Amino acid sequence: MRLFFLSLLIIASGGVLPLLFFRQFTLMRILGATFIGAGCCFGLRDAFARLAGGGAASASFDYLSTLTLAFRIDGLSAFFLLAIFAVCLLSAVYSFSYLSDPRKALGTAVSYFFFSLLTAAMALVVAAANMITFLLAWEIMSLASFFLVVHDHRRPETRKAGYLYFVFSHVGAMFIVAAFGVLYGGSGGFEFDATGLSQTAKLWVFGLAFIGFGSKAGVFPFHVWLPHAHPAAPSHISAVMSGVMIKTGIYGILRMVGILELYTPAVGTVVLVFGVVSGVLGVVYALGQHDLKRLLAYHSVENIGIILIGIGIGMIGVATDTPLMALLGFAGGLLHVLNHATFKSLLFMGAGVVLHKTGSRTIDALGGLLKKMPVTGATFLVGALAICGLPPFNGFVGEFLIYLGSFEGVAAETPVLALSLLAIVGLAVIGGLALACFSKVVGVVFQGEARSPAAQAVDEKGGAAMLLPMIVLAAACAVIGVYPAAFLYMPLQAAAALGLEVGRIPLESVARLSTNITLAAAILLAALLIVWALRRLLYEGKPIGCSGTWGCGFTQPTARMQYTGTSYAASILEFFKPAAPLEEDHPAVAGLFPDRTHYRSHVHDIVELHLNSAVVTPVTWLFDKLRWIQHGDIHLYIGYILLAIVVLLFFV
Amino acid sequence: MIDSLLLWALALLTAPLFAGVIFKVKAFFGGRKGSPLLIHYYTLAKLCKKGSVYSTSTTFLFKLGPVVSLAAAATALLFLPMGGQPPVLTFDGDVIFVLYLLGLARFFTIAAAMDTASPFEGMGAAREAYFPIICEASLFMILILFYRLSGDLNLGAYFAGENPRGFWQTAGSPLLFVVIALFIILLTENARVPVDDPATHLELTMIHEVMVLDHSGPDFALIEMGALLKLFFYAAMVARLILPLQPGHPLLNLGIFSLGLLLVYVAVGITESVMARHRMDRVPKFVLTSFALAFFATIITLEFLR
Repeated sequence: MRLFFLSLLIIASGGVLPLLFFRQFTLMRILGATFIGAGCCFGLRDAFARLAGGGAASASFDYLSTLTLAFRIDGLSAFFLLAIFAVCLLSAVYSFSYLSDPRKALGTAVSYFFFSLLTAAMALVVAAANMITFLLAWEIMSLASFFLVVHDHRRPETRKAGYLYFVFSHVGAMFIVAAFGVLYGGSGGFEFDATGLSQTAKLWVFGLAFIGFGSKAGVFPFHVWLPHAHPAAPSHISAVMSGVMIKTGIYGILRMVGILELYTPAVGTVVLVFGVVSGVLGVVYALGQHDLKRLLAYHSVENIGIILIGIGIGMIGVATDTPLMALLGFAGGLLHVLNHATFKSLLFMGAGVVLHKTGSRTIDALGGLLKKMPVTGATFLVGALAICGLPPFNGFVGEFLIYLGSFEGVAAETPVLALSLLAIVGLAVIGGLALACFSKVVGVVFQGEARSPAAQAVDEKGGAAMLLPMIVLAAACAVIGVYPAAFLYMPLQAAAALGLEVGRIPLESVARLSTNITLAAAILLAALLIVWALRRLLYEGKPIGCSGTWGCGFTQPTARMQYTGTSYAASILEFFKPAAPLEEDHPAVAGLFPDRTHYRSHVHDIVELHLNSAVVTPVTWLFDKLRWIQHGDIHLYIGYILLAIVVLLFFV
Repeated sequence: MIDSLLLWALALLTAPLFAGVIFKVKAFFGGRKGSPLLIHYYTLAKLCKKGSVYSTSTTFLFKLGPVVSLAAAATALLFLPMGGQPPVLTFDGDVIFVLYLLGLARFFTIAAAMDTASPFEGMGAAREAYFPIICEASLFMILILFYRLSGDLNLGAYFAGENPRGFWQTAGSPLLFVVIALFIILLTENARVPVDDPATHLELTMIHEVMVLDHSGPDFALIEMGALLKLFFYAAMVARLILPLQPGHPLLNLGIFSLGLLLVYVAVGITESVMARHRMDRVPKFVLTSFALAFFATIITLEFLR
């Protein structure tokens, strides 16, 4: 544990030092990025050692002489620590070039402060071993990320996003506190221990915790804050928030599963159904977005859905005593946690470079960036292929495991079969929609011709610290995808920490699976090389010309005539109209020589659309009715306190 | 292994020949003599002799598109059992890998199309991204049925040896639904009438053909070859299902398999001759039919198996 706390100390100093040296702009950024990065390196080393068989470690301290702060790092914690430290390390490097405006020196220093706080708090959340420690770390994490979201607080939509995030994270935290309360009521201690709880109480704990953690993870329908907060934050923070912070919600759900040992088919079914709904609707809403970072944020909802499908399949596997299904489900879901951390932070960093260079996040205003930003374009392409789950990249491996786990369930009797069917078809639809969505992003943003002057005048100069993390992440996507054997043992260690008896499950089938993936990827690469060589051979000594795109007889094209992302997604969105109502604003064309016209469209998130009428209005109505309690008379307030004390005396 | 590799090579070589049958059938229905059976070989050879003109808008992705689509299709065929022989390669879950491999090819075809900045090609790309989503769902539905019937998750277990006949014995009539569903998927994935008309005169109404408008020379040949292999891949699956006979002698097996393939290609030709292309907004309903059929087949079979 000493190495772990040392790493947190270094990370924290990476937050404090910039505050002291904010007048020297470059020095400040070097200090911030180096210290946070170095701390993450130490933390990574510790997490690797734990996963490689170092066993669990624990430590505890007295706090306020009545409470104990207890920490424990087991396989599950170490697995999440790995993702947290890796992504934060690369984001710290990235931030050096990204936060490059010397006029905002103090703001940058404050941002480094909260960044370090967020990193440390996330690490503490997954290392916490009792409720008090967990909630403390959880609150620090929520608040630090809130301040990072409102970094650009001069813009009204940022403030709105921050407000929404604040409300959601605290309502979520309240649900977690309630869950812990029930847990405390059963066990009588602050330790995570559910031995004394009845089955009903366990269901209550899980239900409350699922809502609380689910709102942090961005599970549909608790995801409303996510598409607002992620785009508002600076891009390296979006990468951290989407890549790892929302995963603390997944960690919480998994930890609860482990503590409660609540392996009934019903609970697994709930998790699975939430997963499928989040997965499909997340990607449908992503398709309808015009803002690049908002689109990526909705994809987090989708990928959290895929992770939940894996966990749900795993839980159903445990409940029905199908060990292989359980192992494949959990391992697939956990591996997808790591995979999503790599490709989603890569994509957010890519979007950050685009935003940094063009000043625009509007998909339909960009275009042709690949030619002038080859590194950004190529790494973004790798990230896009990975998030679509296409071989030979890492997204495929995680989804492949979940597929195999689901197919294990197909052999079972009817209720489980129906769930497996849902998972498989859900995954297939998600995969197809993700492909549509990312072919849109790559095609419209990075390919074709520039649609605006800002997209025309771009380059990659002076962004080395931004490009390097993206290259590392893209390489990680390819390595995990081609050679998963080295990475598969990590989720297995994590699953072992959940109390699943990994030992009695035939592990050689999982090992064989990874050799198969490697073999298949190698054959695909070989085929690609052969066809590429064939192509070279065929072009030997041939005349190769250059000309404009064939315009089907039309000779005066402009860049604005290209297919836009909006039109690309239109027909698919039409199909999902009931779940994704489309609002269009364009006047009808009238007369032979119509006037200048316009077109605006917006895809409504049904939860956001109905949040106001279904939740906000009744709640305000209720509190309106209760307003008489608060009338401003101090004597009556003292009376309330007295009454409360008397009532409490009777109960305690 | 050697047999399987030979069969794979044979498949690569004969895929253009079988596709020529479609032209012949269409010509017959149109009362014309039609192009020679070897037309696709001539076309490929002619394309390979030419040079290329690249659009100034394009990047390396434009050149990568044909390469990936051909390599992916050829790799996919490695996993497909032909003529009842075991496939060259097989592993648990290879079906999923193959389907995602074809997805990879699709991504790069779309990327190559979007690279040209042409609005027409964007239109084709959008459709290419849309329709296969439903196809994938129904293919996975069929996989669930096959998994339930055979207990294995690889193409070898479904289409090699005596297996398809075993399927007919246990699943019987629901398997007819599967054949029709697979045929619809074949038509959709390979841009045939009634989903897409490769012979239309208007770029506005095409899917696959408009996406490759700007490709020329050997690049275009690679794309054509990739498309022919993909058609062969789906046709081989349907062929094994409709003629699951396995007399024993390798040559006889191969003969029956080829006959099955011929039947499928003729069926494609007949469909193209007697049907008109659906309006684009009607296509999803047509493709969804395949999902419904596969779904019902699965449900009905489950009832039988119990």
